[in-house]
Amino acid sequence: MLTLSFLQDLFQQDFMLRALLTGIILGALAPLIGSIVVVRRLSFIADTLGHFSLVGISVSLYISTFGISFFLEKPLYLGLVFSIIGGILIESFRRSYKNYKEISMVIVISLGSAMSAIFFSLAKKTGSLYQYLFGSILTVTNYYLILIFITAIIISILFILFGKQILAVSFDETTARFLGVNVSLFQFIFMVVLSMVVSVLLESVGVLLISSMMIIPVAAAMRFGWSFKSTLIISIVFSELSILLGLWMAYSFIIPSGAAIVSINILILLIVSIVRKIYIHKNLSKLDTLK
Amino acid sequence: MLIEIRNLSFAYGHKTVINGLSHTINPGDYLVIKGKNGSGKTTLIKCLLGINPVKNGMIFFDGKDINSFNNWPKFGYVSQNLDDFNYEFPLTVEELLKFSTVTKASKKNYLKLLDQMGILDIINQNINSLSGGQLQRVFIIRAMLNNPEVLILDEPTASIDKQNTEFFYQTINELNKQGITVILITHTEFISHINYTHLLTMSLDLTFNIVTNDKEDN
Repeated sequence: MLTLSFLQDLFQQDFMLRALLTGIILGALAPLIGSIVVVRRLSFIADTLGHFSLVGISVSLYISTFGISFFLEKPLYLGLVFSIIGGILIESFRRSYKNYKEISMVIVISLGSAMSAIFFSLAKKTGSLYQYLFGSILTVTNYYLILIFITAIIISILFILFGKQILAVSFDETTARFLGVNVSLFQFIFMVVLSMVVSVLLESVGVLLISSMMIIPVAAAMRFGWSFKSTLIISIVFSELSILLGLWMAYSFIIPSGAAIVSINILILLIVSIVRKIYIHKNLSKLDTLK
Repeated sequence: MLIEIRNLSFAYGHKTVINGLSHTINPGDYLVIKGKNGSGKTTLIKCLLGINPVKNGMIFFDGKDINSFNNWPKFGYVSQNLDDFNYEFPLTVEELLKFSTVTKASKKNYLKLLDQMGILDIINQNINSLSGGQLQRVFIIRAMLNNPEVLILDEPTASIDKQNTEFFYQTINELNKQGITVILITHTEFISHINYTHLLTMSLDLTFNIVTNDKEDN
Protein backbone atom coordinates (compact mmCIF):
# COMPACT_ATOMS: atom_id res chain seq x y z
CA MET A 1 0.00 0.00 0.00
CA LEU A 2 2.92 2.31 0.77
CA THR A 3 4.26 1.62 -2.70
CA LEU A 4 0.92 2.39 -4.31
CA SER A 5 0.52 5.70 -2.50
CA PHE A 6 4.15 6.51 -3.30
CA LEU A 7 3.56 5.97 -7.00
CA GLN A 8 0.37 8.00 -6.88
CA ASP A 9 2.04 10.87 -5.05
CA LEU A 10 5.06 10.68 -7.33
CA PHE A 11 3.05 11.93 -10.28
CA GLN A 12 0.35 13.85 -8.48
CA GLN A 13 2.21 15.83 -5.86
CA ASP A 14 4.30 18.73 -7.20
CA PHE A 15 7.13 18.29 -4.72
CA MET A 16 7.40 14.57 -5.52
CA LEU A 17 7.40 15.18 -9.26
CA ARG A 18 10.10 17.83 -8.85
CA ALA A 19 12.12 15.40 -6.74
CA LEU A 20 11.72 12.69 -9.38
CA LEU A 21 12.75 14.96 -12.27
CA THR A 22 15.69 16.29 -10.24
CA GLY A 23 16.70 12.75 -9.40
CA ILE A 24 16.51 11.59 -13.02
CA ILE A 25 18.78 14.42 -14.19
CA LEU A 26 21.25 14.06 -11.33
CA GLY A 27 21.12 10.28 -11.66
CA ALA A 28 22.65 10.62 -15.11
CA LEU A 29 24.94 13.57 -14.41
CA ALA A 30 26.59 12.24 -11.25
CA PRO A 31 27.97 8.95 -12.66
CA LEU A 32 28.95 10.67 -15.94
CA ILE A 33 31.28 12.98 -14.04
CA GLY A 34 32.01 10.25 -11.50
CA SER A 35 33.44 7.97 -14.19
CA ILE A 36 35.99 10.65 -15.13
CA VAL A 37 36.82 11.23 -11.47
CA VAL A 38 37.43 7.48 -11.00
CA VAL A 39 39.62 7.33 -14.14
CA ARG A 40 41.66 10.23 -12.78
CA ARG A 41 42.01 8.41 -9.45
CA LEU A 42 40.59 11.41 -7.59
CA SER A 43 37.64 9.75 -5.91
CA PHE A 44 37.74 12.11 -2.92
CA ILE A 45 37.77 15.27 -4.97
CA ALA A 46 33.98 15.66 -4.98
CA ASP A 47 33.94 15.52 -1.19
CA THR A 48 36.70 18.11 -1.09
CA LEU A 49 34.98 20.46 -3.50
CA GLY A 50 31.70 19.98 -1.64
CA HIS A 51 33.32 21.06 1.63
CA PHE A 52 34.83 24.08 -0.08
CA SER A 53 31.53 24.89 -1.74
CA LEU A 54 30.09 25.02 1.77
CA VAL A 55 32.41 27.95 2.46
CA GLY A 56 30.74 29.89 -0.35
CA ILE A 57 27.29 29.03 0.97
CA SER A 58 28.18 30.06 4.53
CA VAL A 59 29.82 33.31 3.33
CA SER A 60 26.69 34.08 1.28
CA LEU A 61 24.47 33.49 4.31
CA TYR A 62 26.74 35.67 6.44
CA ILE A 63 26.70 38.52 3.91
CA SER A 64 22.92 38.33 3.72
CA THR A 65 22.72 39.09 7.46
CA PHE A 66 23.86 42.61 6.55
CA GLY A 67 20.87 42.96 4.27
CA ILE A 68 23.06 42.67 1.18
CA SER A 69 21.44 40.77 -1.66
CA PHE A 70 24.16 38.57 -3.10
CA PHE A 71 23.72 36.61 -6.33
CA LEU A 72 19.95 36.80 -6.23
CA GLU A 73 20.01 35.62 -2.60
CA LYS A 74 20.90 32.10 -3.67
CA PRO A 75 23.87 30.75 -1.67
CA LEU A 76 24.33 28.15 -4.41
CA TYR A 77 26.05 30.65 -6.73
CA LEU A 78 28.75 31.65 -4.28
CA GLY A 79 29.01 27.96 -3.48
CA LEU A 80 29.87 27.33 -7.13
CA VAL A 81 32.51 30.09 -7.14
CA PHE A 82 34.17 28.66 -4.05
CA SER A 83 33.98 25.15 -5.47
CA ILE A 84 36.00 26.34 -8.48
CA ILE A 85 38.44 28.10 -6.13
CA GLY A 86 38.77 24.83 -4.21
CA GLY A 87 39.56 23.03 -7.47
CA ILE A 88 42.29 25.53 -8.32
CA LEU A 89 43.77 25.15 -4.83
CA ILE A 90 43.79 21.35 -5.18
CA GLU A 91 45.68 21.59 -8.49
CA SER A 92 48.21 24.03 -6.96
CA PHE A 93 48.89 21.80 -3.97
CA ARG A 94 49.08 18.70 -6.20
CA ARG A 95 51.99 20.31 -8.04
CA SER A 96 53.79 20.93 -4.76
CA TYR A 97 53.24 17.41 -3.42
CA LYS A 98 53.88 15.43 -6.60
CA ASN A 99 54.43 12.11 -4.84
CA TYR A 100 51.66 12.67 -2.28
CA LYS A 101 48.84 14.07 -4.31
CA GLU A 102 46.17 13.08 -1.79
CA ILE A 103 47.64 15.60 0.70
CA SER A 104 46.22 18.42 -1.44
CA MET A 105 42.67 17.21 -0.79
CA VAL A 106 43.21 16.94 2.96
CA ILE A 107 44.49 20.52 3.05
CA VAL A 108 41.57 21.91 1.06
CA ILE A 109 38.91 19.87 2.90
CA SER A 110 40.32 21.02 6.25
CA LEU A 111 40.35 24.64 5.14
CA GLY A 112 36.80 24.33 3.79
CA SER A 113 35.45 22.68 6.95
CA ALA A 114 37.04 25.24 9.25
CA MET A 115 36.00 28.30 7.25
CA SER A 116 32.43 27.12 6.69
CA ALA A 117 32.02 26.36 10.42
CA ILE A 118 33.21 29.89 11.20
CA PHE A 119 30.90 31.62 8.73
CA PHE A 120 27.86 29.49 9.56
CA SER A 121 28.43 30.46 13.19
CA LEU A 122 28.90 34.16 12.36
CA ALA A 123 25.72 34.07 10.26
CA LYS A 124 23.93 32.37 13.17
CA LYS A 125 22.68 29.73 10.69
CA THR A 126 24.15 26.61 12.27
CA GLY A 127 20.65 25.11 12.17
CA SER A 128 20.66 25.05 8.38
CA LEU A 129 23.97 23.20 8.36
CA TYR A 130 22.17 19.84 8.60
CA GLN A 131 20.35 20.54 5.34
CA TYR A 132 23.63 21.26 3.56
CA LEU A 133 25.38 18.25 5.07
CA PHE A 134 22.71 15.72 4.10
CA GLY A 135 20.60 17.52 1.48
CA SER A 136 16.93 17.07 0.71
CA ILE A 137 15.79 16.17 -2.77
CA LEU A 138 12.18 16.29 -1.58
CA THR A 139 12.34 20.04 -0.93
CA VAL A 140 13.78 21.22 -4.27
CA THR A 141 12.08 24.22 -5.82
CA ASN A 142 11.13 24.89 -9.45
CA TYR A 143 14.02 27.36 -9.61
CA TYR A 144 16.47 24.68 -8.54
CA LEU A 145 15.02 22.16 -11.01
CA ILE A 146 15.44 24.61 -13.90
CA LEU A 147 18.99 25.33 -12.74
CA ILE A 148 19.83 21.62 -12.72
CA PHE A 149 18.32 21.21 -16.17
CA ILE A 150 20.39 24.11 -17.55
CA THR A 151 23.53 22.72 -15.86
CA ALA A 152 22.87 19.32 -17.45
CA ILE A 153 22.49 20.90 -20.90
CA ILE A 154 25.72 22.90 -20.52
CA ILE A 155 27.66 19.85 -19.34
CA SER A 156 26.23 17.69 -22.13
CA ILE A 157 27.31 20.25 -24.72
CA LEU A 158 30.79 20.45 -23.19
CA PHE A 159 31.12 16.67 -23.28
CA ILE A 160 29.90 16.44 -26.87
CA LEU A 161 32.43 19.09 -27.92
CA PHE A 162 35.37 18.19 -25.68
CA GLY A 163 34.70 14.68 -24.34
CA LYS A 164 37.70 13.15 -26.15
CA GLN A 165 40.11 15.75 -24.86
CA ILE A 166 38.81 15.39 -21.30
CA LEU A 167 39.14 11.60 -21.51
CA ALA A 168 42.61 11.79 -23.08
CA VAL A 169 43.81 13.98 -20.21
CA SER A 170 42.04 11.83 -17.62
CA PHE A 171 43.45 8.49 -18.75
CA ASP A 172 47.00 9.72 -19.28
CA GLU A 173 47.86 13.30 -18.40
CA THR A 174 51.53 12.92 -19.37
CA THR A 175 51.04 11.84 -22.97
CA ALA A 176 47.83 13.75 -23.70
CA ARG A 177 49.94 16.67 -24.88
CA PHE A 178 51.47 14.56 -27.65
CA LEU A 179 47.98 13.75 -28.90
CA GLY A 180 47.32 17.45 -29.50
CA VAL A 181 45.43 18.21 -26.28
CA ASN A 182 45.89 21.48 -24.39
CA VAL A 183 46.26 19.74 -21.03
CA SER A 184 45.99 22.79 -18.76
CA LEU A 185 42.89 24.06 -20.55
CA PHE A 186 41.03 20.77 -20.36
CA GLN A 187 42.02 20.16 -16.78
CA PHE A 188 40.52 23.56 -16.01
CA ILE A 189 37.36 22.80 -18.03
CA PHE A 190 36.94 19.53 -16.19
CA MET A 191 37.43 21.24 -12.82
CA VAL A 192 34.74 23.81 -13.70
CA VAL A 193 32.35 21.05 -14.83
CA LEU A 194 33.02 19.07 -11.66
CA SER A 195 32.46 22.17 -9.52
CA MET A 196 29.13 22.81 -11.27
CA VAL A 197 27.95 19.25 -10.63
CA VAL A 198 29.10 19.33 -7.00
CA SER A 199 27.29 22.63 -6.41
CA VAL A 200 23.98 21.41 -7.84
CA LEU A 201 24.29 18.05 -6.04
CA LEU A 202 24.93 19.75 -2.73
CA GLU A 203 21.38 21.03 -2.23
CA SER A 204 19.72 17.70 -2.99
CA VAL A 205 22.20 15.16 -1.64
CA GLY A 206 24.37 17.14 0.77
CA VAL A 207 28.09 17.58 1.21
CA LEU A 208 28.69 14.31 3.03
CA LEU A 209 27.07 12.19 0.35
CA ILE A 210 28.17 13.87 -2.89
CA SER A 211 31.07 11.50 -3.49
CA SER A 212 28.85 8.50 -2.91
CA MET A 213 26.38 9.61 -5.59
CA MET A 214 29.18 10.10 -8.09
CA ILE A 215 31.50 7.21 -7.32
CA ILE A 216 29.57 4.21 -5.99
CA PRO A 217 27.40 3.57 -9.09
CA VAL A 218 30.61 3.68 -11.17
CA ALA A 219 32.39 1.32 -8.76
CA ALA A 220 29.48 -1.12 -9.07
CA ALA A 221 29.35 -0.81 -12.87
CA MET A 222 33.10 -1.51 -13.15
CA ARG A 223 32.35 -5.05 -11.85
CA PHE A 224 30.37 -5.81 -15.00
CA GLY A 225 31.42 -3.30 -17.62
CA TRP A 226 33.57 -4.55 -20.49
CA SER A 227 34.14 -1.14 -22.07
CA PHE A 228 34.04 2.51 -21.04
CA LYS A 229 30.65 2.96 -22.74
CA SER A 230 29.07 -0.10 -21.13
CA THR A 231 30.45 0.86 -17.71
CA LEU A 232 29.00 4.35 -18.05
CA ILE A 233 25.56 3.09 -19.15
CA ILE A 234 25.42 0.49 -16.36
CA SER A 235 26.46 3.11 -13.78
CA ILE A 236 23.64 5.41 -14.93
CA VAL A 237 21.15 2.55 -14.67
CA PHE A 238 22.35 1.76 -11.13
CA SER A 239 22.22 5.44 -10.23
CA GLU A 240 18.66 5.93 -11.53
CA LEU A 241 17.54 2.78 -9.73
CA SER A 242 18.99 4.04 -6.47
CA ILE A 243 17.28 7.42 -6.96
CA LEU A 244 13.87 5.78 -7.45
CA LEU A 245 14.23 3.31 -4.60
CA GLY A 246 15.84 5.97 -2.38
CA LEU A 247 12.91 8.31 -2.95
CA TRP A 248 10.52 5.51 -2.04
CA MET A 249 12.45 4.80 1.17
CA ALA A 250 12.59 8.50 2.12
CA TYR A 251 8.85 8.88 1.43
CA SER A 252 7.85 5.68 3.22
CA PHE A 253 10.06 5.86 6.30
CA ILE A 254 10.50 9.64 6.61
CA ILE A 255 14.28 9.53 6.46
CA PRO A 256 16.75 11.88 4.70
CA SER A 257 16.47 11.27 0.96
CA GLY A 258 20.21 11.66 0.28
CA ALA A 259 21.07 9.01 2.85
CA ALA A 260 18.38 6.70 1.49
CA ILE A 261 19.67 7.03 -2.08
CA VAL A 262 23.26 6.38 -1.05
CA SER A 263 22.21 3.35 1.05
CA ILE A 264 20.61 1.84 -2.05
CA ASN A 265 23.81 2.64 -3.99
CA ILE A 266 25.84 0.64 -1.45
CA LEU A 267 23.31 -2.20 -1.52
CA ILE A 268 23.58 -2.40 -5.31
CA LEU A 269 27.37 -2.47 -5.03
CA LEU A 270 27.21 -5.30 -2.49
CA ILE A 271 24.79 -7.34 -4.60
CA VAL A 272 26.88 -6.83 -7.72
CA SER A 273 30.07 -7.83 -5.89
CA ILE A 274 28.47 -11.01 -4.54
CA VAL A 275 27.00 -11.97 -7.91
CA ARG A 276 30.37 -11.44 -9.56
CA LYS A 277 32.16 -13.58 -6.96
CA ILE A 278 29.63 -16.39 -7.45
CA TYR A 279 30.05 -16.12 -11.24
CA ILE A 280 33.85 -16.28 -11.02
CA HIS A 281 33.70 -19.17 -8.56
CA LYS A 282 31.40 -21.15 -10.88
CA ASN A 283 33.71 -20.55 -13.85
CA LEU A 284 36.74 -21.68 -11.86
CA SER A 285 34.86 -24.83 -10.78
CA LYS A 286 34.03 -25.57 -14.43
CA LEU A 287 37.73 -25.23 -15.35
CA ASP A 288 38.70 -27.62 -12.54
CA THR A 289 36.10 -30.13 -13.77
CA LEU A 290 37.51 -29.97 -17.30
CA LYS A 291 41.02 -30.71 -15.97
CA MET B 1 62.91 17.42 -37.12
CA LEU B 2 66.37 18.45 -36.04
CA ILE B 3 66.92 18.02 -32.31
CA GLU B 4 69.89 19.75 -30.73
CA ILE B 5 70.98 19.04 -27.19
CA ARG B 6 73.50 21.66 -26.06
CA ASN B 7 75.36 21.15 -22.82
CA LEU B 8 72.26 19.76 -21.10
CA SER B 9 72.40 19.47 -17.34
CA PHE B 10 69.62 18.36 -15.03
CA ALA B 11 69.35 17.70 -11.32
CA TYR B 12 66.64 16.42 -8.99
CA GLY B 13 67.16 18.73 -6.04
CA HIS B 14 70.86 18.44 -5.20
CA LYS B 15 71.39 15.22 -7.14
CA THR B 16 72.78 15.88 -10.63
CA VAL B 17 71.63 13.25 -13.09
CA ILE B 18 72.77 14.70 -16.41
CA ASN B 19 75.85 16.87 -16.74
CA GLY B 20 76.90 18.67 -19.90
CA LEU B 21 75.36 16.32 -22.49
CA SER B 22 75.55 17.54 -26.08
CA HIS B 23 74.37 15.77 -29.18
CA THR B 24 72.54 16.51 -32.41
CA ILE B 25 69.79 14.15 -33.56
CA ASN B 26 69.19 14.56 -37.28
CA PRO B 27 65.88 13.78 -39.01
CA GLY B 28 65.68 10.04 -39.60
CA ASP B 29 68.26 9.14 -36.96
CA TYR B 30 67.79 6.11 -34.73
CA LEU B 31 69.29 6.88 -31.36
CA VAL B 32 69.49 4.09 -28.81
CA ILE B 33 70.15 5.06 -25.22
CA LYS B 34 71.47 2.52 -22.77
CA GLY B 35 72.89 2.53 -19.29
CA LYS B 36 72.37 1.24 -15.77
CA ASN B 37 69.41 2.19 -13.59
CA GLY B 38 69.91 5.73 -12.31
CA SER B 39 72.21 6.80 -15.14
CA GLY B 40 69.73 9.39 -16.37
CA LYS B 41 68.17 7.71 -19.41
CA THR B 42 64.54 8.39 -18.55
CA THR B 43 65.48 11.82 -17.21
CA LEU B 44 66.99 12.68 -20.60
CA ILE B 45 63.84 11.52 -22.38
CA LYS B 46 61.66 13.56 -20.05
CA CYS B 47 63.83 16.63 -20.67
CA LEU B 48 63.40 16.15 -24.43
CA LEU B 49 59.64 15.80 -24.02
CA GLY B 50 59.30 18.92 -21.89
CA ILE B 51 58.13 16.87 -18.91
CA ASN B 52 61.22 17.88 -16.92
CA PRO B 53 61.73 21.65 -17.04
CA VAL B 54 65.04 22.68 -18.63
CA LYS B 55 66.70 26.07 -18.87
CA ASN B 56 66.71 28.09 -22.08
CA GLY B 57 69.46 27.28 -24.52
CA MET B 58 69.77 23.55 -23.77
CA ILE B 59 67.35 21.88 -26.16
CA PHE B 60 66.27 23.07 -29.61
CA PHE B 61 63.75 21.66 -32.09
CA ASP B 62 64.39 22.89 -35.64
CA GLY B 63 66.24 25.83 -34.11
CA LYS B 64 63.44 26.71 -31.67
CA ASP B 65 64.13 26.59 -27.94
CA ILE B 66 62.10 23.92 -26.15
CA ASN B 67 60.58 26.53 -23.84
CA SER B 68 59.02 28.29 -26.86
CA PHE B 69 58.02 25.08 -28.60
CA ASN B 70 54.38 23.97 -28.58
CA ASN B 71 53.95 21.62 -31.55
CA TRP B 72 54.03 18.52 -29.36
CA PRO B 73 51.92 16.27 -31.68
CA LYS B 74 55.13 16.02 -33.74
CA PHE B 75 56.27 13.65 -31.01
CA GLY B 76 54.96 10.19 -30.25
CA TYR B 77 55.78 8.78 -26.81
CA VAL B 78 55.46 5.35 -25.24
CA SER B 79 56.39 5.47 -21.57
CA GLN B 80 58.13 2.81 -19.52
CA ASN B 81 55.75 -0.01 -18.50
CA LEU B 82 52.89 2.24 -19.62
CA ASP B 83 52.71 3.31 -16.00
CA ASP B 84 51.27 6.74 -16.72
CA PHE B 85 48.11 5.22 -18.17
CA ASN B 86 45.17 4.18 -16.01
CA TYR B 87 44.32 0.91 -17.77
CA GLU B 88 42.47 -0.63 -14.85
CA PHE B 89 39.22 1.09 -15.84
CA PRO B 90 37.21 -0.96 -18.41
CA LEU B 91 38.26 0.25 -21.85
CA THR B 92 38.40 -1.47 -25.21
CA VAL B 93 41.23 -1.07 -27.72
CA GLU B 94 38.94 0.83 -30.07
CA GLU B 95 37.81 3.20 -27.32
CA LEU B 96 41.40 3.83 -26.24
CA LEU B 97 42.40 4.76 -29.77
CA LYS B 98 39.21 6.71 -30.53
CA PHE B 99 39.63 8.80 -27.36
CA SER B 100 43.17 9.53 -28.53
CA THR B 101 42.11 10.76 -32.00
CA VAL B 102 41.87 14.40 -31.12
CA THR B 103 43.39 15.93 -34.25
CA LYS B 104 42.11 15.58 -37.83
CA ALA B 105 45.22 13.64 -38.87
CA SER B 106 44.76 11.07 -36.14
CA LYS B 107 41.09 10.34 -36.93
CA LYS B 108 41.95 8.66 -40.24
CA ASN B 109 44.82 6.62 -38.92
CA TYR B 110 43.84 4.23 -36.17
CA LEU B 111 42.17 1.47 -38.21
CA LYS B 112 44.96 1.50 -40.77
CA LEU B 113 47.61 1.27 -38.05
CA LEU B 114 45.80 -1.57 -36.27
CA ASP B 115 45.78 -3.49 -39.56
CA GLN B 116 49.46 -2.77 -40.22
CA MET B 117 50.35 -4.03 -36.74
CA GLY B 118 48.29 -7.17 -37.28
CA ILE B 119 45.96 -6.60 -34.34
CA LEU B 120 42.73 -5.51 -36.01
CA ASP B 121 41.06 -8.61 -34.53
CA ILE B 122 41.48 -7.38 -30.93
CA ILE B 123 39.78 -4.06 -31.54
CA ASN B 124 36.84 -4.87 -29.25
CA GLN B 125 38.86 -6.51 -26.50
CA ASN B 126 39.26 -4.96 -23.08
CA ILE B 127 42.83 -3.65 -22.77
CA ASN B 128 43.12 -5.43 -19.43
CA SER B 129 42.84 -8.77 -21.20
CA LEU B 130 45.65 -8.10 -23.66
CA SER B 131 49.07 -9.71 -23.46
CA GLY B 132 52.13 -7.53 -22.86
CA GLY B 133 53.03 -7.67 -26.55
CA GLN B 134 49.53 -6.75 -27.73
CA LEU B 135 49.32 -3.87 -25.26
CA GLN B 136 52.68 -2.60 -26.43
CA ARG B 137 51.51 -2.58 -30.06
CA VAL B 138 48.33 -0.73 -29.11
CA PHE B 139 50.34 1.98 -27.36
CA ILE B 140 52.73 2.28 -30.29
CA ILE B 141 49.71 2.80 -32.53
CA ARG B 142 48.47 5.44 -30.10
CA ALA B 143 51.84 7.19 -30.28
CA MET B 144 51.72 7.06 -34.10
CA LEU B 145 48.22 8.48 -34.52
CA ASN B 146 49.36 12.01 -35.36
CA ASN B 147 52.03 10.85 -37.86
CA PRO B 148 54.79 12.08 -35.57
CA GLU B 149 58.22 13.02 -36.86
CA VAL B 150 59.88 11.71 -33.71
CA LEU B 151 58.99 8.53 -31.83
CA ILE B 152 60.33 8.16 -28.31
CA LEU B 153 60.11 4.85 -26.46
CA ASP B 154 61.24 4.22 -22.90
CA GLU B 155 62.20 0.57 -22.29
CA PRO B 156 59.22 -0.61 -24.31
CA THR B 157 60.09 -4.31 -24.14
CA ALA B 158 60.60 -4.49 -20.39
CA SER B 159 57.55 -6.67 -19.81
CA ILE B 160 57.12 -8.64 -23.03
CA ASP B 161 58.41 -12.02 -24.21
CA LYS B 162 61.26 -12.69 -26.62
CA GLN B 163 59.10 -13.36 -29.68
CA ASN B 164 57.14 -10.14 -29.25
CA THR B 165 60.34 -8.26 -28.51
CA GLU B 166 61.79 -9.33 -31.87
CA PHE B 167 58.57 -8.31 -33.63
CA PHE B 168 58.66 -5.00 -31.80
CA TYR B 169 62.18 -4.15 -32.95
CA GLN B 170 61.37 -5.15 -36.52
CA THR B 171 58.39 -2.76 -36.42
CA ILE B 172 60.47 0.11 -35.09
CA ASN B 173 63.18 -0.54 -37.69
CA GLU B 174 60.48 -0.27 -40.38
CA LEU B 175 59.13 2.97 -38.95
CA ASN B 176 62.63 4.41 -38.92
CA LYS B 177 63.10 3.36 -42.57
CA GLN B 178 59.98 5.40 -43.36
CA GLY B 179 61.83 8.47 -42.10
CA ILE B 180 60.65 8.70 -38.51
CA THR B 181 63.33 9.72 -36.03
CA VAL B 182 63.45 7.14 -33.25
CA ILE B 183 64.84 7.59 -29.74
CA LEU B 184 64.73 4.39 -27.76
CA ILE B 185 65.87 3.46 -24.28
CA THR B 186 66.77 -0.14 -23.80
CA HIS B 187 68.39 -2.31 -21.18
CA THR B 188 68.46 -5.42 -23.27
CA GLU B 189 70.88 -7.44 -25.32
CA PHE B 190 68.65 -6.95 -28.36
CA ILE B 191 70.76 -4.08 -29.60
CA SER B 192 72.07 -6.33 -32.36
CA HIS B 193 68.48 -6.45 -33.73
CA ILE B 194 68.30 -2.68 -33.92
CA ASN B 195 69.38 -0.72 -36.99
CA TYR B 196 70.53 2.22 -34.93
CA THR B 197 72.52 5.15 -36.25
CA HIS B 198 73.81 6.27 -32.84
CA LEU B 199 74.27 4.53 -29.51
CA LEU B 200 74.42 6.72 -26.42
CA THR B 201 75.72 5.02 -23.30
CA MET B 202 75.06 6.88 -20.06
CA SER B 203 76.99 6.07 -16.89
CA LEU B 204 76.33 6.55 -13.22
CA ASP B 205 79.38 8.85 -12.95
CA LEU B 206 77.60 11.34 -15.29
CA THR B 207 79.85 10.54 -18.25
CA PHE B 208 78.44 9.51 -21.58
CA ASN B 209 79.71 7.92 -24.74
CA ILE B 210 78.19 8.18 -28.22
CA VAL B 211 78.98 5.61 -30.88
CA THR B 212 77.86 5.92 -34.47
CA ASN B 213 77.83 3.13 -37.05
CA ASP B 214 81.57 2.83 -37.35
CA LYS B 215 83.18 5.70 -35.48
CA GLU B 216 83.28 6.91 -31.86
CA ASP B 217 82.25 10.40 -30.60
CA ASN B 218 82.53 11.68 -26.99
